[in-house]
Amino acid sequence: MPNTPISATNNLSTTSEATVVDCNDVTTTKTQPHLQGQKIGLCLCPVCRKLNLTSNNHCRRCFSQLSNRNYASIQQSWALLITATILLVVANIYPITLLTNRGVVTNDTIFSGISHLVQTGMFPIAIIVFTASILVPWLKIIGLATYLTAISFNLPVSKRKLMVGFHIIEWIGRWSMLDLFVISLTVALVNMGQLLDAKPAPAATAFALVILLTQLAAKVLDTRLLWDRLEQSDDTN
Amino acid sequence: MHEFDDHDSIILCHSCDLAVRKRALPSSSRAICPRCHTVLYDSPYCSINGMLALCIAALIIFIPANLLPVLEIHFLGSVRTTTVIQAAVTVWAEGYWVVGLAVMVAAVIAPGLLILSILTQVMIVKLKLHSSFWQRAYSTLLKNHGSISQMTMLEIYVISFLVSAFQLSDFSDVYFGMGTFSFTMLFVIILFLQREYNLEHMWSYVDA
Ligand SMILES: [Zn+2]
Ligand SMILES: [Zn+2]
Repeated sequence: MPNTPISATNNLSTTSEATVVDCNDVTTTKTQPHLQGQKIGLCLCPVCRKLNLTSNNHCRRCFSQLSNRNYASIQQSWALLITATILLVVANIYPITLLTNRGVVTNDTIFSGISHLVQTGMFPIAIIVFTASILVPWLKIIGLATYLTAISFNLPVSKRKLMVGFHIIEWIGRWSMLDLFVISLTVALVNMGQLLDAKPAPAATAFALVILLTQLAAKVLDTRLLWDRLEQSDDTN
Repeated sequence: MHEFDDHDSIILCHSCDLAVRKRALPSSSRAICPRCHTVLYDSPYCSINGMLALCIAALIIFIPANLLPVLEIHFLGSVRTTTVIQAAVTVWAEGYWVVGLAVMVAAVIAPGLLILSILTQVMIVKLKLHSSFWQRAYSTLLKNHGSISQMTMLEIYVISFLVSAFQLSDFSDVYFGMGTFSFTMLFVIILFLQREYNLEHMWSYVDA
């Protein structure tokens, strides 16, 4: 198989124990470079992923509106991401829970909650909470920002690595919900007046919105745009 | 472009739009895009009867999972318990309705809808309901399947039982309730249900 950049593939596969089968692309036996669906007048239905002719207006299976590329998705994704970043700063600075213990009221931020766990020697739990509440949201925002910058400014970054990163981002994003589940359980259990009482604090709402907005930012983005630029600049990273 | 007239032997990568020739897969394997490594399609292993059984099991365990106490704390002689629904409602009642809604959707509403949606789809396929009403209902359910299953976060809630229990053990004695057991079982059943379910395969019933 000459001139096919398929070589080092299996070791990069991101998914589970099932065997991974490489498909040949349509151009395998020809001399031309990779063929985009766009160039041969085909596109996938955005809803049910049925293959359609670009010239049709509606999907032949589910009758959804077809779109070849969603160029506005970059701006939408940027807008959602910037809002999420501001809210994440807010979520990190302001207290997320309010704890009353024998009359003494303490405001816990995400970070002080984790350092409290470390002080009491619960390292494994501290690591779980740190990953879900600090690492994942920040990684997700930085990752999405890198991704969007690469598309917007046509940066010469390895597009294959960006795509792997993007799939990881999509998958880990959900884990931030952990903190909100813990807060809701704690607040419901610990309500014994002045002796011991837990209440949510403003950062909780900000944190919930960060999760919502970053998931949406990843969802609206049309990732095919990244690979269109690849065809133009002809780098085979 | 006459050589591509046979559309069903070609698929496009939904991440990078590469045109790929489709071929038959051995069971329990998946095809990945040669350029960007997105999973393109799985070999279908959907068993309609298997999914029906899992749906019914999930529906049965859904009720105790949400209504029985999941955590119990003993503090200076008094006992406090909470259920998954109570926890969400309490945060909402404290004025944090965004948080309450998020917890409610991720742990109660989305899993419930997911079970009912798959159950309805399975019944439509199994009973061969071809009338236009059922066919329209079927494609509506399939169109929304992706978002519902993305909002279902049972695995994260199961971990949060452990985290909460450890955090609270600093102040008081913590016990797991029957709800925790039921909720974990619900998570396991839904996990198997989602492994059995294949959206691409379910869509193929519409073509027929
Ligand atoms: Zn469609
Ligand atoms: Zn691809």
